[in-house]
Amino acid sequence: MEKLLKEQDVQYIKELFDRDLVDPVELVLFLESEGSDKVTDANSQYLLATEEIAREVSEISDKISLTIYKDDKEKEKEYGVKEISALFIQGKNTDKNVVFYGIPSGHEFSSLLEDIVNVSQGATRLSPASKETARNIKVPVEILVFITPTCPHCPRAVKTAHQLAMENKLIKAAMIEANEFPELSKKYNVYSVPKIVINEKVQFEGALPEDMFINKVLSVVDGS
Amino acid sequence: MNEFLTVPMVKEQEEMTSDILLDMVILGAGPGGLTAGIYAGRSGLNVVILEKLFPGGQIAVSSRIDNYPGFPDGVSGTELVRGMEKQAVKFGARIVMEEAMRIGKEGTLFVVETVGHKKYKTKTIIISTGADPVKLPVPEEEKFRGRGISYCATCDAAFFKEKDVAIVGGGDTAITDALHLTRFANKVIIVHRRSELRAVKALQEEVFANPKIAFQWDSIPSHVVGDEKVDGLEIKNVKTKEKKVLKVNGIFAAIGTIPNSKIVRGVVELDERGFIKTNHNRETSVPGIFAVGDVRDTPLRQVITAAGDGAIAEFSAENYIKSMER
Ligand SMILES: Cc1cc2nc3c(=O)[nH]c(=O)nc-3n(C[C@H](O)[C@H](O)[C@H](O)COP(=O)(O)OP(=O)(O)OC[C@H]3O[C@@H](n4cnc5c(N)ncnc54)[C@H](O)[C@@H]3O)c2cc1C
Repeated sequence: MEKLLKEQDVQYIKELFDRDLVDPVELVLFLESEGSDKVTDANSQYLLATEEIAREVSEISDKISLTIYKDDKEKEKEYGVKEISALFIQGKNTDKNVVFYGIPSGHEFSSLLEDIVNVSQGATRLSPASKETARNIKVPVEILVFITPTCPHCPRAVKTAHQLAMENKLIKAAMIEANEFPELSKKYNVYSVPKIVINEKVQFEGALPEDMFINKVLSVVDGS
Repeated sequence: MNEFLTVPMVKEQEEMTSDILLDMVILGAGPGGLTAGIYAGRSGLNVVILEKLFPGGQIAVSSRIDNYPGFPDGVSGTELVRGMEKQAVKFGARIVMEEAMRIGKEGTLFVVETVGHKKYKTKTIIISTGADPVKLPVPEEEKFRGRGISYCATCDAAFFKEKDVAIVGGGDTAITDALHLTRFANKVIIVHRRSELRAVKALQEEVFANPKIAFQWDSIPSHVVGDEKVDGLEIKNVKTKEKKVLKVNGIFAAIGTIPNSKIVRGVVELDERGFIKTNHNRETSVPGIFAVGDVRDTPLRQVITAAGDGAIAEFSAENYIKSMER
């Protein structure tokens, strides 16, 4: 496959990584082979491109490693993988709870890079108040963020959700590329992105500011 | 599939103390603000661009721009503004992801306060906060926003594969959106309050030749029909007063913009529609504060004019700084 990242961009990302990365980050990518019911004509191109993106990014810095599990049902179970592809960002402040379902391309590529930096630093950019709120949550929370790669305001929602998960391991946060998973999009009535679903209960559309996003999470937590 | 990969140029929430005196704070990283940033950076000014949502502004949601010079085959909005962003950063402008909330004065200097209560002290301010889309004027707007009503065709078109959709509006934006929607939707109905389009000739030719597009002339939206999701749009003919329901699952709106001038209300003079009054140097009623692009009282709201404004305002601001120091 032809390189997806331009040389110029690789240079820029390298500078960013050299400056900002601290501890190792592991990208854990789940794929399945042709023949699996998760692989269709429609998504095989996406799977190839996702693997390529993960590979190219991991090659930019020694601090980033890439592990690929293909058709590994046991590992899929261990990580709680729901869809293929699934790309987990593993490091000191995550535990199988920060994931991208589908390709992290378009505007979401910036979410991937920012996640890598945050995980490597073991710190998020949430406000002190948001961090505290996130850390005080005592029940499991699952946040799904549906996006399309052409949506410029979607990364804001993905980054907020992923950072909440980095603050508290009880929170699982997933980006879902809506084009790649039409069945899921249908199930959750996605007509506009970003669309956020929390614990199957609360749903909202739009890239809310951090504090309002967290209030939505709290509305679920308080109700349970 | 989208092959493009957006590399962030932003240094998010970079630590900066409020003691540093800046030459320029630019509010908003759309084409106007980014261009001012390019010029300021090249002039060696100490400049910060504040952006509340994402660098690029409105044009980042446009699928195709055909009227920006230098791109004979058209260019996507994202690609165009990514270039501007990189160029601004390359020349030393710092883009910080924060929403500006208030502008205050300290002697001859200004203080810009952000939502996160950070303060930036500066000699000059360029307002490039742009505009937001006008909401669809139907009682059900809030209920269905994001559930069938959309203001971003490039973001949401894919959810209406093989479905019928309506687009309200008749200008360049509405027509570009309609053409983009035909790549997914089964049928696209343009609802326009006049009997002819306002869009430029080239777009009109394209839209009239497209077999997937139909028109409802002299019509305005009156109600959205549906339970949980959109099942139809009720429209009213402004001439015959007749009402009818279009069976559509998606409603896209491109019916103009309102200026983002709240932050300067009571600070600089606005016109009766809320646009910032400026002179040919892009100076506002307050010396040291300049305004560019869609937020000012300009006759044409486009990328090229916003960029042009950015260059002029930066030039004027530099002159202002020099006169301060004399
Ligand atoms: C779908 C669509 C298609 C279009 N097609 C074309 C076209 O083909 N050709 C063309 O020339 N023009 C086109 N336009 C118009 C063009 O996008 C605008 O004229 C142009 O973007 C104006 O630039 P600007 O810098 O003035 O403001 P904007 O692009 O509106 O940018 C303003 C920025 O300021 C930020 N901001 C606002 N308030 C604050 C605050 N308080 N603090 C911090 N940041 C803030 C916003 O988030 C935004 O990023 C189109 C517009 C749309 C919506």
